[in-house]
Amino acid sequence: MEATKRLNVKKQTLDDAYAAPANFLEIDVINPITHGIGNKRYTDYEVRLRTNLPVFRIKESSVRRRYSDFEWLRGELERGVIVVPPLPSKAWKRQLPFRQDEGIFDEDFIEDRRKGLEIFVNKIAGHPLAQNEKCLHMFLQDPVIDKNYVPGKMRNVQ
Amino acid sequence: MGDVVGGNMRQPTAPQISSPPDEQDKLLDEALGIVKMQAFQMKRCLDKGRLMDGLKHASTMLGELRTSMLSPKSYYELYMAVTDELRHLEIYLVDEFQKGRQVSDLYELVQYAGNIVPRLYLLITVGLVYIKTKPVLCRDVLKDMVEMCRGVQHPLRGLFLRNYLLQCTRNVLPDIPDLVEGADPPPPPPPTTLATQITTSGEEDGFGGSVQDSIDFVLMNFAEMNKLWVRMQHQGHSRDKERREKERQDLRILVGTNLVRLSQLECIDLERYTRGVLPSLLEQVVSCRDAIAQEYLMECIIQVFPDEFHLTALDSFLKACAELQPAVNVKNIIIALIDRLAAYTQRGKDEPGANNGGTGGTTLPEDLQLFSIFSKQVALIIMSKPDMPSEDIVSLQVSLINLANKCYPDHVDYVDDVLGKTCEIFNKFDLEKISGSSPVGRELLLLLKIPVDNYDNVLTLLKLEHYGNLLDFMDYEGRKSIAVYLINNALENETRIGTSEQIDFMLGLINPLIQDQADAPDGNGGSADAEEFAEEQSLLGRFLHLLSSEDADEQYIILNTARRHLGTGGVKRIPFTLPPIIFAAYQLAFKYAEMKEEDDKWEKKCGKIFQFCHGTIVALTKAELAELPLRLFLQGALAIAQIPFENRETVAYEYMSQAFSLYEDEISDSKAQLAAITLIIATLEQIGCFGEENHEPLATNCALAASKLLKKPDQARGVGICAHLFWSGKNVASNGLPIRDGKRVLECLKKGVRIGSQCMDTLVQVQLLVELLNHYVYFLEKGNEEITAALLNQLLAKIRTELPNLEVNEEREQIHKHFDNTKEHIKVGQANGGVLVEVQLEE
Repeated sequence: MEATKRLNVKKQTLDDAYAAPANFLEIDVINPITHGIGNKRYTDYEVRLRTNLPVFRIKESSVRRRYSDFEWLRGELERGVIVVPPLPSKAWKRQLPFRQDEGIFDEDFIEDRRKGLEIFVNKIAGHPLAQNEKCLHMFLQDPVIDKNYVPGKMRNVQ
Repeated sequence: MGDVVGGNMRQPTAPQISSPPDEQDKLLDEALGIVKMQAFQMKRCLDKGRLMDGLKHASTMLGELRTSMLSPKSYYELYMAVTDELRHLEIYLVDEFQKGRQVSDLYELVQYAGNIVPRLYLLITVGLVYIKTKPVLCRDVLKDMVEMCRGVQHPLRGLFLRNYLLQCTRNVLPDIPDLVEGADPPPPPPPTTLATQITTSGEEDGFGGSVQDSIDFVLMNFAEMNKLWVRMQHQGHSRDKERREKERQDLRILVGTNLVRLSQLECIDLERYTRGVLPSLLEQVVSCRDAIAQEYLMECIIQVFPDEFHLTALDSFLKACAELQPAVNVKNIIIALIDRLAAYTQRGKDEPGANNGGTGGTTLPEDLQLFSIFSKQVALIIMSKPDMPSEDIVSLQVSLINLANKCYPDHVDYVDDVLGKTCEIFNKFDLEKISGSSPVGRELLLLLKIPVDNYDNVLTLLKLEHYGNLLDFMDYEGRKSIAVYLINNALENETRIGTSEQIDFMLGLINPLIQDQADAPDGNGGSADAEEFAEEQSLLGRFLHLLSSEDADEQYIILNTARRHLGTGGVKRIPFTLPPIIFAAYQLAFKYAEMKEEDDKWEKKCGKIFQFCHGTIVALTKAELAELPLRLFLQGALAIAQIPFENRETVAYEYMSQAFSLYEDEISDSKAQLAAITLIIATLEQIGCFGEENHEPLATNCALAASKLLKKPDQARGVGICAHLFWSGKNVASNGLPIRDGKRVLECLKKGVRIGSQCMDTLVQVQLLVELLNHYVYFLEKGNEEITAALLNQLLAKIRTELPNLEVNEEREQIHKHFDNTKEHIKVGQANGGVLVEVQLEE
């Protein structure tokens, strides 16, 4: 009998019932652009963020990041206590010389990588512990990543 | 130690995992397969009486509804299949219970199902069985179920679960009034759990609930469903917003069913509706702050509840409208309500007293100020929504006017009130020169046309103080189209405009047709082309004939007033607008002549009228016109000649001489000259009021003018016509009888023949001689003794000589024919004996 006993619950207010979620966070990795030629050739992506989470200083931001920036972020986070999900493959094979195709600048490859990066960054940013890491905020919102920063937590701006 | 990111983590927003369309079918098929199989197992167990195993299969089957992979459409199909199978379980249980084989603790038992979705579906199924077999439990079971359903907060799953609850309970909701006040109150909720109560309570004398319990039940279910429905909007990526909105539209009926259920409860009376049901509904609708939900639910409320309820609760409903989200199309909601209530009150009027007296449901309650309430609330709504497009505001006013017209046809003040409010709004928005083709202009045109159509009497507009002001907000084209509309309406209904106040008003409204407008485009008097302009002005001309009064003195004032307005129209318009006034004035003069017995000042008044006409015609001559005023003067002269007022000879002479001056000074085209002199001669021939001293110079002048025409053929013809002036023309000396001056007739004809003979072109020459021959025959027959057969023979001989010399062509044929016909006429005359006998037709 005890197991099916009804609890007394507080009535939900109308404001609560219809409130928009307080934890909205959306990160898109879009618009891949390939720059430069020869050895200097690289692809970067727009990382666009929209949120209403108080921990983010800016509620809407857009920066451009390349694969190595994502690697940097992953490395920084791994220094903490968090187990970080993997990045999409580095695709060493595609970077070998004398290939007939575009290698890592192939359109389909870039699209696959873009999807992988989007999943990765959303997983990270959605995690309550990672959310406080200074490196994540620099990665998502600072125009230029200061790789000599002092690691630490964001103070909640609430 | 380490927290695995991406593993069991909390997602900031619930991911929308529903799969692409091609996979949907596969997933759905799989799920339906499992449902079919489990349902089969369930039924087999039930058949063997193994209830526990049956429940287990039912639970496994229901487990399919836990999916997040299906789109709303596929989920709906799955839901239908599952609930269809659940019916078997329900029927089995009811059957068992009625046979007395009651399973103890069943309500409790199903709550041990491992997953919440199957658990709650089973709880509802069993709960229904309990209610059906033990109605006394109804109220408590209902309350428990509707609260327990809170356990599913996933929007899609929750909506369908609650829909199942609503469908199951639709026939068992208590629909009896509360216990009479003062009687025993319903027993307080039991202290123990519901399950305990269900198993322990054996007595049947309890209270199974009243309509209030049903209301509470449905309202709570509604609130929860609405919450889930609104929350769907926040699910998934914002780029899928449109798709999500579409899905929500597909699901709205689930939420709306709650309102339908409420409307089906017969014990909900006006009091309950206005005090309890509506405020609760509106509270949810307003608080949810979701445009899709608000728009749908408000329209739903209008649709499902009866008109009497809306009439009584109008204020609170409209107040809620003002609080809706800016994106909500409040206009449509209000218009739907107004139209419905207007139609409702109309029905009441169309079938008066279907049941003796008939003041029952279908007439407006005496004390209900339907219009005032709407008017006030609509104003508040407009105030509270600064972003509302102005065309929507105007279309709200359109429905208000329709309401006033339908429900209060006698209250012109209501209509004026709407127009006034619209003016205020335009002033506030600083709108002016609204184009008739813009959205707001189209609505405004509609608004302005409604009173015209409705009253079918443009004079009623006089009572609308704001009509003109509102009209002024339109641009030139818009004002003109209303002007044309007004005129057409007046013409169709033959609305007589009979006082100068009315004329001032009407001509003010149709001013764009009467005067050049500052904002009109250049050229063609502001019309697209000359043809359109002429069409509009002709319409105006027709309209002017409606300006009339039975009372002659009043009519004179009317004409003066109209003349004053029309005089400002400029040279392009007055040829269209002044002639109707002049003709009306001539008619008025005749009217005074008929009234001479009753009005001793009639002669003076006639004099004044012709003075007025004179001035008006002169205004036309100042507009560089000649042929039109010339004809108007001649028409005037004819009128004067027939009305024996003092001094008329002088006036008529003035008119004739004016016509002459115009002829001499202004008409230069030879064809027009011939036409004009012919008219002058014909007019003079008709007029008998001149004394010798006036008639003589006029007649001589005609003959002179005719002989001075430029072309010889014209001269010949003019002079020929002049002959009649001295025969059938009349003057005071002849006592109004024909003058019969045969000598002068002959002179004219001889002169004609002489001029005709001078024509170089033999074709024309013969043609003229044949024409003159006809004149000769005419006068000979009329007994003019100066005309002799010898003269005719001479003429005939001349024609006969020339005729063979003519070139063969079509004109020659015509001349031959004319000549032959003339000879035929003479032959007939000779056969009858008389003056023509001596004429020699052949050589």
